[in-house]
Amino acid sequence: MVALNEWQERLEETALAPVRRTGPRFWALVAFLLAVIGWGAYAYSVQLRDGLIVTGMRDRISWGLYIATFVFFIGISHAGTLISAILRVSQARWRTPVTRLAEFITVVALICGASFVIIDLGRPDRVLNVFIYGRWQSPIIWDVLAITTYLTASVTYLFVPMIPDLALFRDRLSGKTSRWRSGLYRVLAIGWNGNVTQRRSLASAIGVLMILIVPIAVSVHTVVSWIFAMTLRVPWDSALFGAFFVAGAIFSGISILIIVMAILRRAYHLEKYVTEKHFVYLGYLMATFAAIMIYGNISELLVHGYKFAEGVEFHFRQLFLADFAPLFWFYLVGGLVGPIVIALLPATRNVRGMVAAAILVTLAMWIERYVIVVTGLRVPLMPYEPASYAPTWVEWSLLAAGLALFALLIAVFTKVFPIIAVWEVAEDHEATVGASGIARPAALETKN
Amino acid sequence: MNVIARRTVRTVIGFVSVGVVAAALTGPVLASHVHVNATVPSDGTLGEMIRMPVALQAQDGAPLQGTTVVFYLHAVFAGVTGQAEIGRAVTDETGVATLVYRPRLAGHHELRMEYVTPGEGTVEEVSTAFDVSGGKQLYRPAARLDIPGINGGLLIAVLATVWSILLWVAFRFIAIARAGGEAMTPGQHKTG
Repeated sequence: MVALNEWQERLEETALAPVRRTGPRFWALVAFLLAVIGWGAYAYSVQLRDGLIVTGMRDRISWGLYIATFVFFIGISHAGTLISAILRVSQARWRTPVTRLAEFITVVALICGASFVIIDLGRPDRVLNVFIYGRWQSPIIWDVLAITTYLTASVTYLFVPMIPDLALFRDRLSGKTSRWRSGLYRVLAIGWNGNVTQRRSLASAIGVLMILIVPIAVSVHTVVSWIFAMTLRVPWDSALFGAFFVAGAIFSGISILIIVMAILRRAYHLEKYVTEKHFVYLGYLMATFAAIMIYGNISELLVHGYKFAEGVEFHFRQLFLADFAPLFWFYLVGGLVGPIVIALLPATRNVRGMVAAAILVTLAMWIERYVIVVTGLRVPLMPYEPASYAPTWVEWSLLAAGLALFALLIAVFTKVFPIIAVWEVAEDHEATVGASGIARPAALETKN
Repeated sequence: MNVIARRTVRTVIGFVSVGVVAAALTGPVLASHVHVNATVPSDGTLGEMIRMPVALQAQDGAPLQGTTVVFYLHAVFAGVTGQAEIGRAVTDETGVATLVYRPRLAGHHELRMEYVTPGEGTVEEVSTAFDVSGGKQLYRPAARLDIPGINGGLLIAVLATVWSILLWVAFRFIAIARAGGEAMTPGQHKTG
């Protein structure tokens, strides 16, 4: 009993530590990220002033880096919902230390992803046209509806399991932190004290959300894929696109989760709770989805290549032999085959190996989105010379700013909210060591 | 001597100037060896075919066969104004070139027809105008299949269901907040 209480005390201290102490390295990181975002803001002001002519996009290749990054961010947003919800539904106990991070990645990635659509518009005020002139028949409207619903559900899904931990912060940091922070925890904890009625309401809300969030998340990336698949372009002419995009989203979501986990584990000394086991298990999941992606690619390329409809020859040439060959081969070999090899080899089946695999996957999946977007528009619709596209400094700057915003929001989150689901980890630990009759710690109850 | 020379130069310049002006004014007339008669109807209906016959005759009244006539419409698109080619037709043995055109925009249209005169090889043109009335929707999908129930209503129903469930979750928050006030025990206290 004493040992269990001590264990929980250490867990709570670990969760509270990032909020209690902030070193100069954190502020240096924030300053650097703000500088990158500031540079991005300058680039955006140039784009607003001069128009989209400052980008590499023209009339024939009218989507580029922005839309590829939008799809990438929406993809990694599946880290939280699908990974967390699926593992919760399947009652995988090892999930508990990673779910909170995964859920927050979802919300942040959705915010960053949605902003790239507005950046791509050129005139941000024209986003209102979607609501004024939008048609139910358009996949663009489905996309707006799906992403809005997904963002709302994801914020809810992040918040609900956090309520007991917010109450813990409210109680443990009372009088020891700033007034705004105390007020924030008091409001967000919504009067939680862990009584039976509250626990019942919390359990039913989580139970409903973890089931609801899965079809919403699947629908979001399916609809994103339909924006391409429902356009009359040879490379996008595929009924497989929805499933392919969802698999790719989970794949990239797992990779970004591994990277963020590794950084925060090192920064906040979470080694005791986020162990090598978590990296290896997520690595297995990543390898499984790499295999699914390989299957999807073979199916897609073989069917298109066998029929070889008009335009496919040009498309295959640009993918395998010409302009986009280095990127596409890196995606196939480095991003899909590489992670499977890393996960299978005992020598690389560790934290470093999985992080290396995750970096490969993240790069490869961004490249995949870029290749899908640009090559799809590059195939000529009429017998004219194919157009070319190269992102300009404005686009690269805004991509850097988007990634910096993603990192900044996560960094700030770790300083305000509990990064570990304390009560869930405690329950998991209790189930592991408390089976021999040790009294249950009040994991869901708050303490003075 | 100087006075005589000066007067001579002035006189020559004067004659040359008058000659140049006269040639400039009469040039197109002199160059035009073709008699044109465009019998484009003065009005039409949006989406319906309009026949645009143009008859070309030589000065002696003989029909000009085999001359290509290019038809342009004055158009404004995306803020850009210009001449849009809408078609070409070749004159037949009666000297008539006919373009059949389906107007896609209601309003007043200025039409310009351009051809190359036989022999001389100069480009000549003639203009006319016509009005198009009507507000018909010209776009027709190539295929259409109505499956009962698969429509915007279904989308709204799905959305309404999802948002209703999210609203139900919001009510759980209220339940948690209310229970927090009711179930305080002496061992616990509200902080913050």
